[in-house]
Amino acid sequence: MKTDGVLNILGKLMLLISLCLLTPIPFSFYYHDGMAASFVLAALIGAFMGGFLVAAFVPREDLGYRDGFAVVVLSWLALAFLGGLPFYFSGEMPSFVDCFFEAMSGFTTTGSTILSKVEVLPMSVLFWRALTHWIGGMGIIVLSLAVLPLLGVGGMQLYQAEMPGPTKDRLAPRMQDTARILWGVYVLITAVEVVLLMLGGLSFFDALCHSFATLATGGFSTYTASAGYFDSVYVETVIIVFMFVAGINFSLHYQGLLRGNFAAYWQSEEFRFYSALVVIAILLICVANLEHGVYSTIGETVRTASFQVVSIITTTGFGTADFDQWPPVCKVLLVGLMFIGGCAGSTGGGIKVVRLLLFLKYARLQLRNLVHPNAVGIIKMGKVKVPQDVMVGILGFFAIYVAVLIVGVVAVTATGVDIVTGFTAVVATLNNIGPGLMEVGPARNFGGLPDTAKVVLVFCMLAGRLELYTLAVLFTPDFWKMARRPRFRWQE
Amino acid sequence: MGRDLLEETGGGAVRIMIVGSGAVGYHLSEKFSEEGHDVVLVDRDQKKLRRIERELNVLPICGSGASTKVLEEAGIDHTDLFIAVTDSDEVNLVACIISKNYNVKTRIARVRNEDFYSHNTSLNEATLGIDLLISPDRAIVDEILRLSSLTGAFEAAEFADGRVVLFGHTVREDDVNAGKTLTEIRGTMGVIVAIIRDEKTIIPRGHDRINPGDRVYIVARKSDIGTDGSKFSVVNQPPKNVFIIGGGSIGYLVARRMEQQKIEVRLIEQDTERCDFLVENLERAVVLNFDGFEAHDLLDEGIDQADLVVSVTDSDTANILSSLLAKHHGAKKCITRISRPDFIPLLSKLGIDVALSPRMVAANMILRFVRTGTGIVSVASLLGSDAEVLELKVPDTDRFRKVPLQSLEFPKGAVLGAIVRKTKNKVVIPTGTTVLKPHDSLVIFALKDAAAKVTEFFTE
Repeated sequence: MKTDGVLNILGKLMLLISLCLLTPIPFSFYYHDGMAASFVLAALIGAFMGGFLVAAFVPREDLGYRDGFAVVVLSWLALAFLGGLPFYFSGEMPSFVDCFFEAMSGFTTTGSTILSKVEVLPMSVLFWRALTHWIGGMGIIVLSLAVLPLLGVGGMQLYQAEMPGPTKDRLAPRMQDTARILWGVYVLITAVEVVLLMLGGLSFFDALCHSFATLATGGFSTYTASAGYFDSVYVETVIIVFMFVAGINFSLHYQGLLRGNFAAYWQSEEFRFYSALVVIAILLICVANLEHGVYSTIGETVRTASFQVVSIITTTGFGTADFDQWPPVCKVLLVGLMFIGGCAGSTGGGIKVVRLLLFLKYARLQLRNLVHPNAVGIIKMGKVKVPQDVMVGILGFFAIYVAVLIVGVVAVTATGVDIVTGFTAVVATLNNIGPGLMEVGPARNFGGLPDTAKVVLVFCMLAGRLELYTLAVLFTPDFWKMARRPRFRWQE
Repeated sequence: MGRDLLEETGGGAVRIMIVGSGAVGYHLSEKFSEEGHDVVLVDRDQKKLRRIERELNVLPICGSGASTKVLEEAGIDHTDLFIAVTDSDEVNLVACIISKNYNVKTRIARVRNEDFYSHNTSLNEATLGIDLLISPDRAIVDEILRLSSLTGAFEAAEFADGRVVLFGHTVREDDVNAGKTLTEIRGTMGVIVAIIRDEKTIIPRGHDRINPGDRVYIVARKSDIGTDGSKFSVVNQPPKNVFIIGGGSIGYLVARRMEQQKIEVRLIEQDTERCDFLVENLERAVVLNFDGFEAHDLLDEGIDQADLVVSVTDSDTANILSSLLAKHHGAKKCITRISRPDFIPLLSKLGIDVALSPRMVAANMILRFVRTGTGIVSVASLLGSDAEVLELKVPDTDRFRKVPLQSLEFPKGAVLGAIVRKTKNKVVIPTGTTVLKPHDSLVIFALKDAAAKVTEFFTE
């Protein structure tokens, strides 16, 4: 690992984040909430730290993919640190751990909050909170690749560390162009949702913030009651559709929406499986809720079930109903869905539909081999054979996933939190969803957890967003043995 | 046809498809993607492609280059430049022929079979519709002959129809100029455009000193290179006594070309049957049948007296060892073929004068062919360093009129080596007071990063 080159790039990324920190200022002036100076101060802190790193360390052209891991993890930590400053300056969150938690929850598109009442935040800070989702949804590296020629040759290694996933979709020969296409699709769909929400009677501010949170599959709302505040079937339908859209692989949107090849959606096996999962889950929950008589009308049952299911499987975490009050079978189903997450290449978190699908296919193949020991079996995705090393990578992913889950739950419950809260808090953060059950249920928040537990959950969020490997590799001694002493510019 | 390809798009990205991810394909992909072009690399080896995907900013496609389906999937429809460099002649030719159905502007194929290069063949570049057929073996033979005539040079490239030479030379203790500063040497011979010291390329200034062990690049008039070694120990004189170790296709071609120049050649080949072929087809060269490792036999034949030893067997190890042996016993210069280009920087430390990789030579030849644009006449990409030599024409603008070179804001990292005056048709070695004239041809040495700036500087 070339430590100096890594820190130099980190500095450049921090400069970029500082620029992002200036964007809420117009809202601050418009709503006269007096936060403009705080945002400038936060941006200056970021610019100073970033500027120092850029000035001190020698840039490197030849960053390897090993360096990519370090840059990505460090830049996400820096992102959350700088992103937490406006919350701190607003005075509504006195503990910096809370601010860091909130910002990391934003950037990793988790949507877990420590606020019991969201409305207390100034408008510009609410906007910043939604913007953290939007920036984090597509990724800071992908953003910088798309808009700035900042990262040069090493950009590709960074891209691979930030956008892991078992399958890679390259839409253009050059990474920069791929990043630009993805952001283009992202911006376009966001704009469409803003317009549709405004047609439903939302103010521009609410429409924008909710669109940011939907497309990034984040879940921060500008109201404590989340999307339920609007109490409008139209608004909920729009959000359901766009949550579903955000959970689909964005390269499919490029094929389908931009190229007009709508058949591409149905040709994708992952998309078909994802749609089937959503429909089946909605049906099961409707049946269970009707059985237990949770809601009086069928319409109400379908409306809440479909919103909650799509919100959870896409790892968004918006809420229109307190599912903690639903019968146990529904809670178990929803927690199950939490693990699955969106499709690969979407903004959603979780294990990803494609991994689950391949895992099931692998299991089926093993069973078939028991019946026909001499049968030749391969695993196919669509019409293409899945290479052996991809399968091994997925099995490895499950192993690390379970390990992180257990360590996380043990660490959180060790701070004195009860089992259900501790378990679902880890599940909800590791899969970047937002709400869990009990103390951290949809109607509650993460504010009551001890600080140690919050720090553990911050790592869970980051591990989930970077799909484990990128973060986990930093905890291996082998990785640090490869680190070289940094060279400062004045040593040149 | 291949001319001005990279220029036409106004410096924007050109879409390039490369079939075959061997050494040539890899090197080309690396260079083109660094320059910001869209590169699609087609190969059948999934494992190799995965590695490349990690290392290079290119789009890897798995499949056969001779399959229409694969090429279409890879987007041949909007490809400008098509390069087929797999190990198989047939695949390369078929791929190029398939590409003719699409709107590809330039096609380049690597073809090893000698039949395609003879003068009276019916299947040549024109009939095949391929813009450049390239054979790594032939490319390296040309390179060896160019280097053989400049004793003491480890690298050489010719410009302005051969009147200007750029050569690389390792400074020795007994060089007349060793230890002097550039200002002291000025005017004696050409321009020192770069010094490579400890693997770093330095663009030197007047006060920089030349030390023994430095590798220097010099641009000079060909006529100025003496035959007596009074300036640098680089002599423009064909060798008299040459040993060629390895009688494969490269060794055979070198031997044949050299014996036509009346050079005394000894060709060493261990395979008896191959020796029969060599004796049959060579006129004057002495073919010796023993292993290149046989030190006793080599000394017996007088390898210690050789002006030049060319080691071109198929084995890198044999080539390196026999070169070291020859140098140890006093051979003046050796040229060594090595198939792994990564080791080239290492070999100069061992005392091997020139190390050439056929694939790198071929890749550089392709780069030169492709890059040749309207303003740029020829480009040489230097094997051992991160630099390029450009040959450019001065545009007819006021910016350069009556302005001496020292007042021009010449891009950093680039040096003007020589000027070819069109009016008087002579080569001028520039100084600070020289004034450029429109239509002058300039030979410019530039570091990799500066090359683009230089082109920009002269294309307004």
